[in-house]
Amino acid sequence: MSAVSEERAPSSQRGERAAWRRLLREPAAIIGGVIVGGFVLIAIFAPVIAPYDPNASDWMTIREAPSLAHLFGTDDLGRDVLSRVIFGARASLAAGFLSVTIALAIGLPLGVAAGYFGGVTDMAIARIADALLACPFLVLAIALAAFLGPSLQNAMIAIGVSATPIFIRLARGQTLAVRAEDYISAAQSLGLPHAKIMASHILPNILPPIVVQATLTTAIAVLAEASLAFLGLGQAPPDPSWGSMLDAARQFLVEAPWMAVWPGLAIVVVVVGFNLLGDALNDSLNPLD
Amino acid sequence: MQVSRSIIPVALAATLLGFSGAAHAQGSNLTVGIQDDPDALDPAVSGTYTGRFVFAALCDKLVDIAPDLTIVPQLATSWTWAPDQKSITFKLRSGVKFHDGTPFDAAAVKFNIERMQTMKDSRRKAELSPVAGVEVVSADEVKFNLKEPFAPLLSVLSDRAGMMVSPAAGAKEDFAVNPVCAGPYKFAERKARDLIRLTKFADYWDAANYGYDQVTYYYIADSTVRLSRVRAGDLMIAERIAPTDLKTVRDDKNLKLHGSPGLAVSHLMVNVGAGEKANTPLGKDARLRKAFELSIDRNVINRVAFNGEYTADNQMIPPSDPYYSKTNPIPARDVAAAKALIAQAGMTTVPVELTYENSLTDGRVAQIVQSMAKEAGFDVKLAPLETTTAIERYLAGNFETYIGNWSGRGDPDPTLYAFFSCNGGQNVNKYCNKELEGVLNQARAEVDIAKRKALYEKATAMYLTDLPTIPIYHPNWFVAARANIAGLNIYPDGLLRLKGVKPAP
Repeated sequence: MSAVSEERAPSSQRGERAAWRRLLREPAAIIGGVIVGGFVLIAIFAPVIAPYDPNASDWMTIREAPSLAHLFGTDDLGRDVLSRVIFGARASLAAGFLSVTIALAIGLPLGVAAGYFGGVTDMAIARIADALLACPFLVLAIALAAFLGPSLQNAMIAIGVSATPIFIRLARGQTLAVRAEDYISAAQSLGLPHAKIMASHILPNILPPIVVQATLTTAIAVLAEASLAFLGLGQAPPDPSWGSMLDAARQFLVEAPWMAVWPGLAIVVVVVGFNLLGDALNDSLNPLD
Repeated sequence: MQVSRSIIPVALAATLLGFSGAAHAQGSNLTVGIQDDPDALDPAVSGTYTGRFVFAALCDKLVDIAPDLTIVPQLATSWTWAPDQKSITFKLRSGVKFHDGTPFDAAAVKFNIERMQTMKDSRRKAELSPVAGVEVVSADEVKFNLKEPFAPLLSVLSDRAGMMVSPAAGAKEDFAVNPVCAGPYKFAERKARDLIRLTKFADYWDAANYGYDQVTYYYIADSTVRLSRVRAGDLMIAERIAPTDLKTVRDDKNLKLHGSPGLAVSHLMVNVGAGEKANTPLGKDARLRKAFELSIDRNVINRVAFNGEYTADNQMIPPSDPYYSKTNPIPARDVAAAKALIAQAGMTTVPVELTYENSLTDGRVAQIVQSMAKEAGFDVKLAPLETTTAIERYLAGNFETYIGNWSGRGDPDPTLYAFFSCNGGQNVNKYCNKELEGVLNQARAEVDIAKRKALYEKATAMYLTDLPTIPIYHPNWFVAARANIAGLNIYPDGLLRLKGVKPAP
């Protein structure tokens, strides 16, 4: 047992250091990291940064253009758009991270188990994943969210479940490749329990592509949360979400374009940030691709 | 079709200048954008508003409403109530033909009323339930015998229950596929979820007053899309323009805005007696409902959500209705008084759950209400639901408060009786006040307008005291049309009546 892990550990650490070095040389990684990190900070410190209460209405300032008092203007109910964009980052990022966490928590064990055990287990899990994948991601998320009822929490669950088959499939494929390695046969012949082999020997070796996929899926999840909120299936009003802000704004595209521009821009920037980061991770973790 | 010499250069010039010469160029086809795809085109089974919209050109009724909601002749030229008010006799217009050439007479009226009372899928059974039978007096005279005096009958006959279809066609199973009525336009074709085309009926009794050879209704769900298509000249009329788009219409010199005060009402219904959900502070205590009413400013709701284009009001019946109560004005917002009432009820914070159909309009109203009521001490939780689910809950009385949207009627009875009689069709919050029900019963049996008005004054004061529902505003109708259409006149029911509508000279 110790022989196996000792053999693996040094090479893995070397690989990690090399990967970090490659990552930090990528401009895309820096830009993506700064964007994502910046929005994470905005979300965490929203109450400190936001100039106004995002839900406070002023009936005398309805749909006012950007000014010194309201840098991003006000919305259809006289609320400060800047404050709402700042607080909206919470809903977006929470949905992005938590739904991917849900997808990983369900998808990873199932995918590894399917790849590792093969046979009937593989058949059952892979067919379920295929069935879920047959339904377009967003359509599935909308159906689930509509079924669960409109709330941010339900939107995250819906997005998480819809993203699960992506991870099942990826983990299964990677596990199939790793399972044939000698060190797995060695671990098996030493009589290690299956759970231990999967957790200690397979999982660490299939992580790089999973990390890349998780980063890219976060971008998709942020977009999905905005879509669900746009359809009224996300964050419950009056709490802000970029998607629901866009929904309210679409009636006023001509009279009050600022209502749409800022949340729209925020979505674009965050999604681009996650994609840049994902691509850079992919390049640095799989240098041969 | 005749085109006089003098028109040709004008039409050419108009086309060259970029005006829509469509009215002339397309063989005078009037194109209209409607918000929903109508259901069955059979007045007996139709249940959609846009169905009525099409019927306004397709099917004439015994009587019609005037812009002031009084009843005016259409297929019936005059009527007399019997002294005991238990029957009414109509004199019918002579020389009227259905689109299939069948003559319209008293026997056809009898056939139609009986068809609507007995047909399996008929949705007119309840409306016509006060009618005991129809007697043919002569070819042009028909008598309706009533089970008891029923003043709203004429109003009922001014809608689908009064639309006459050809007996020959009405007896067929597939009537809705090929409707045959007696209106100014006859059915030509329908493409499901796309368009309905009608062509002018040459033998119509008043054909000279109809200026277009064809009317085509296009189903376009989004009001902004309808408007942009009218702006592009691709449609000539679009119904139900959003209040927030009116500036665009007013600023466009190629367009003209038409409108009318509406009959509909949007109200905050409180569950006062239906099951578990009635067991809330608001549901149990009328003082808290009054406090809730005092905590909101209807004028601000109207200004913020509808650019001030709708009518803020505290009654179920709109101010344009002759039976509107002038002695019960809108109470001004009074947060202090609201707080005092809450204190009287022994509370400081009152929890309220507000359910509504997830639309931008209701969502905006709900958020404004939430924000205003908060200042008085109401903790309003918003529960937007997808439309079908929301309506299911509404009908089942499974809500604490609900933003109800009622289309309204030309007569106060169908609204007030449905919401406030103990077993009314819309009384989903199970409100029951026997005294009020007694007044409503008296009012529906009273044919004298002044006496009936006094009864509705009394009824209004009663429901505004109990406040089982808090009316907020009445939507108004806005129709955008190309400026080169003359004679357009929108009535309080919002329907497109094509009499006198023609290409502008």
